[in-house]
Amino acid sequence: MCEIIYHPDYKKYDLGPGHPFDPVRAEMVLDFLEKTGSLKEPLKPEPITPEDLEAIHDKSYIQIVESASCGKNLTEAEDYGLGTLDNPIAKGMAEGARLQIGGTLLGAKLLIENKANKVLQLGGGFHHAHRNLAAGFCIYNDLGLAIKELTKEGLHVAYLDLDVHHGDGVQEIFYSDENVLTISLHESGEYLFPGTGWLHELGNSMGRSLKLNVPLEPFTEGDSYLEIINGIVEPALKWFKPDALIVQAGADAHFSDPLADLMLTTRDFENVYKRVIELVDQYCNSKVLFTLGGGYSITATPRIWIILYLILFDLKIPDKLPEDWRMQWQEKIKKELPEFLHDPIPSFQPIPRKKEIERHNRELIQRLMDAVAPYWI
Amino acid sequence: MIIKEIMKHKLTSISPDTKLSDAYRIMQEKNIRHLPVIDNEKLVGIVTDRDLRLSTSRLAVHPFEPGEAVKNIMSHPVKTTHPSDPIESAAELMRELKIGCLPVVEDMKLVGIVTITDMLDALLLLTGVHQPSGRLDVRLSNRSGELAKLASLLAERKVNIHSILTYPEKDKTVRLVLRVGTIEMRTLAEAICNAGFEVIWPVQIACVK
Repeated sequence: MCEIIYHPDYKKYDLGPGHPFDPVRAEMVLDFLEKTGSLKEPLKPEPITPEDLEAIHDKSYIQIVESASCGKNLTEAEDYGLGTLDNPIAKGMAEGARLQIGGTLLGAKLLIENKANKVLQLGGGFHHAHRNLAAGFCIYNDLGLAIKELTKEGLHVAYLDLDVHHGDGVQEIFYSDENVLTISLHESGEYLFPGTGWLHELGNSMGRSLKLNVPLEPFTEGDSYLEIINGIVEPALKWFKPDALIVQAGADAHFSDPLADLMLTTRDFENVYKRVIELVDQYCNSKVLFTLGGGYSITATPRIWIILYLILFDLKIPDKLPEDWRMQWQEKIKKELPEFLHDPIPSFQPIPRKKEIERHNRELIQRLMDAVAPYWI
Repeated sequence: MIIKEIMKHKLTSISPDTKLSDAYRIMQEKNIRHLPVIDNEKLVGIVTDRDLRLSTSRLAVHPFEPGEAVKNIMSHPVKTTHPSDPIESAAELMRELKIGCLPVVEDMKLVGIVTITDMLDALLLLTGVHQPSGRLDVRLSNRSGELAKLASLLAERKVNIHSILTYPEKDKTVRLVLRVGTIEMRTLAEAICNAGFEVIWPVQIACVK
């Protein structure tokens, strides 16, 4: 049973014109699905309250965010990462964020109550929000709260972070938690924000060997990425046998993303999503919740998430994008949209260091597996 | 950064008459490698795990017995540092003498100890990531005001600098590695490039001239 979660007011989490974390991305996905008759009526979530957030954020931090969102105490907010280039203070942002978090939480509840086993939350994915710090476009951590909801029920949860940036906020919340396996695939912190997510970050105390990080070389391509899924994600899920998987499906590993340097094409994303769903059916009790996340190429990101929806709902992936959809959104985003859903072949010039990058990434698999081997018995 | 900021204050010391076997046991128990030797509140020597191992080795010409006193094998006089010394002077001394620790002495009294581990911690603090940040690698010409120009560019955009690391290059230029509080590195790098700086990372930044 598949469900999609969305609320038109998600767009209230808008960090201003020109900000890359643009709510239009989800709207484009929805409109495509509507126009092609493939949209299942989305479930509308309720916003969570500021008190609900105390499970993962400090009360003082929540107060700062809430009052900044109403335009108060703006100087103090800067100590908490707000009012910066990445996290400007936008009116109503806290409210918008709480509604999106309600969506991710609703997804978790559907899994708990067996009302659905495959859920796409068309928002959320705020993996950079820390206990006391707003960072990387995120203020509240929806993923953390949803995972807590599942572990509260005694479930074992795996978290897979496909966003091109390290899922630092989520990892931090569960760093010592034995009930949560986190796996983050990202461009190496040496080159990309937030600068963490090294191989040696394996978790503390009871959570040791349950926090996995794969710092990929810049210009990593799809084949190499899939090797990592098979070489690390599969054995990890097979060993941990979670009751459910939560996936942060950021689309910024795409080659055209303006903020990062990985080289996945839409076809690679299709393969990755298909493989992840296979793993969910094999090792994760067939339960998965996908959220959105990064993805700042406005012409590529909606196409990637459309593919995600179609795969999740087991629908046919069309070749072409509908003409009326293209025309309508081209005008709105002031950018030309391609004729086809998938990227052209080839999508980019050959990467000169390809062989070296593949070798480096393969060594990551070996090194990480060696590091966790004494624990995974 | 000065020694006082990185030194360990809690000390385990021994006396000149402590037995080698006891010194060995203390090192094992506390998981440490250096023991200052104190006599009448004065630092008179230092014993390392290496001293113990070498002096008692069966391979030595005249191996010491476990019951003998550490005063027979300790190193003295001891090279020391002062709480207000800069850490680089301590690092230079340790590097020059190839030793792993320096006791910290003030007013003739032992007040702390600095080891290679503390030095590495300091290095991590200087270069490491302590806040979510992006990495910006820029080449500057070695003139006054260059860094100020760059910093004001960042300030205008409300980007906080978390750390700055700089080192000289051969050709009269300086490399500057900044950790800055933004995920939008490319747009920032583009602006920096347009202001006339050479951006090493992120790569392939097209300057809009």
